[in-house]
Amino acid sequence: MASLFFLFLLLPFAILLLVLAAIVRPRPVRIPLKGRHVLVTGGSSGIGLALALRAAAEGARVTIFARDPSRLQDARHAIRLATGVDVAVLAADVRDSEAVARALEAADYVDVLICNHGVFLPQELERQSLEEVRFMVEVNLMGTFHLIKAALPAMKQRAKESGLPASIAIMSSQAGQVGIYGYTAYSASKFGLRGLAEALQHEVIADNIHITLVFPPDTDTPGLAEEHKRRPEVTKLIAGSQGGMKADDVAKKALHGIKSGQFVVACNFEGYLLHVATVGLSPQRSYFMAFVEILGVGLMRFVALCYQWSWFTIIEKWHAKMRSDLLRETSDSLHT
Amino acid sequence: MAPSPLPIASPLLPLLMAPVAFAAVLAFIVRPRSVRIPIKGRHVFISGGSSGIGLALARLAATDGARVSILARSAARLQEARDAIRLATGVDVAIFSADVRDADAVANAVEEAGPVDVLVCNHGVFTPQELEKQDLEEVRFMVEINLMGIFHLIKAALPAMKQRAKATGLPASIAIMSSQAGQVGVYGYTAYSASKFALRGLAEALQHEVIAHNIHVSMIFPPDTDTPGFAEEHKRRPDLTNIIAGSSGGMKADDVAKKALNGIKSSRFIVPCNFEGSMLSIATAGLSPQSSFFTAVAEVLGAGFMRFMGLCFQWNWFSLIEKWHSKKKNM
Repeated sequence: MASLFFLFLLLPFAILLLVLAAIVRPRPVRIPLKGRHVLVTGGSSGIGLALALRAAAEGARVTIFARDPSRLQDARHAIRLATGVDVAVLAADVRDSEAVARALEAADYVDVLICNHGVFLPQELERQSLEEVRFMVEVNLMGTFHLIKAALPAMKQRAKESGLPASIAIMSSQAGQVGIYGYTAYSASKFGLRGLAEALQHEVIADNIHITLVFPPDTDTPGLAEEHKRRPEVTKLIAGSQGGMKADDVAKKALHGIKSGQFVVACNFEGYLLHVATVGLSPQRSYFMAFVEILGVGLMRFVALCYQWSWFTIIEKWHAKMRSDLLRETSDSLHT
Repeated sequence: MAPSPLPIASPLLPLLMAPVAFAAVLAFIVRPRSVRIPIKGRHVFISGGSSGIGLALARLAATDGARVSILARSAARLQEARDAIRLATGVDVAIFSADVRDADAVANAVEEAGPVDVLVCNHGVFTPQELEKQDLEEVRFMVEINLMGIFHLIKAALPAMKQRAKATGLPASIAIMSSQAGQVGVYGYTAYSASKFALRGLAEALQHEVIAHNIHVSMIFPPDTDTPGFAEEHKRRPDLTNIIAGSSGGMKADDVAKKALNGIKSSRFIVPCNFEGSMLSIATAGLSPQSSFFTAVAEVLGAGFMRFMGLCFQWNWFSLIEKWHSKKKNM
């Protein structure tokens, strides 16, 4: 009797799994890297360099793309030392659409385009210069538009000729899943990439091109070290001030996700929870992942509300402390 | 000795306590705390205020007794709007002409207008097209106006808004007009969805930064709305965008404005405009703050089902895309 009861309980879940298996789109795909052309922007340092190293080690033909030619050469040497593989280099500023177009033309065609470059300067919008805001939007968002626009025609051709699936991967950030104190411009640029990616997948699926969005947490890179120097105190209280994941681990997760054509790639457990909370209307190829998302998103929304409660409380306490410190300073100076 | 009722009730008790406890926790933790933002007698500044949703908002705010300023590019259309509002409400609004892409012009207009209580960043442009076919100039156009333009407005208005909120002791509001395309990206909307999704990142972070100054951020998510802008956009919509997005209903600008203003007055972070929009908002609540206990309950309870619905939509959309392409190939 009890076993029948259990079966009855499991039935709706089994039915859900079956329905999901039938409806999840786009269909699963395997994207091979070996012998294919992988182009990594921001590929001379940080996550990009780690991506280039891994792709080269897996037998891909790799091109790294960045602004600074000398750093590109350093990166090329480092990759040759580590893997014996020689990568091609392209130097251009992603903000310059014509330079990007010329560079992509020189690259001939790309099978896997990894738009990994990015800049991040945290600061309260009230204090931040509009030049810095524009810098982040131009590099992180417009730069990615420039790359995709330049690479797309040849990618389509190539995917058609080779019959193999191609990939456009975009490096976002957990700040592209939730906006927090100090990140108005950075989160804006990273959230923007998601809107781009969701729409783009609709547009290129028929050309056998598959979109992947990667959402790393704070990652141990030269970029992060710079960013930490200028993080507002409240941002540190909310987001933490320690180092993050290792760039190589992020790269491993990213490449794995790219090869399985995953639309969203979370890089650690916390990132996975964040993904479920912010999954929205994103496509999902894996019926099992879809199942987990459906069961988990309600609880994750509850957890999210708890986080916002803690963050707003931190903000409230910090401001109260600032005010009382100011009051104490003022009264001290009056008494001296 | 009477038998104790407890052993019989005990398995039921935690079952009943759980939802009550859950509701109690939610009621306690929803942040920021809900406030009422008065409109009467306060300065409401509306960008894109000479037509469409902006004009409807200006009319409504004026009727509510607010002191209204509208910002737009064309001086002529601003005059027409001013006349239309005077005719409809008897109220005279202040008009300011500036291109939101020009940070200095925006700063001047905002300074001239005086300290703002309710800043409604409502302006926007939308030209749908496949990214492969679209000119980068058009992509840039949408990002500059829809995203950078709003950064310009907020940056210009913020200092005086803070001062004013402090001086009056009344809560202020920064309202941002997004779109359902800012909740889900569909075929033809790479640039437009990028610009509208970005506004959410901006808004979530901004709310953290300005809450201590009693400024409340609201994002409004209208569906397709009957406006001159929409008529233009419709002419250019790719086939597939029509097939996909045509499935959702449209709204009248006045109705959107009404929903928007109510949301602003209740300091809601997310303001949907119709039933479908409410469903979409539950599906895409993410980590957004939520000041309403009831909406929080709906989100937690409804998110799972909404995710399933979202997957059904994507199934439908990808099937439509597949069919359309195979039809083209056979032609």
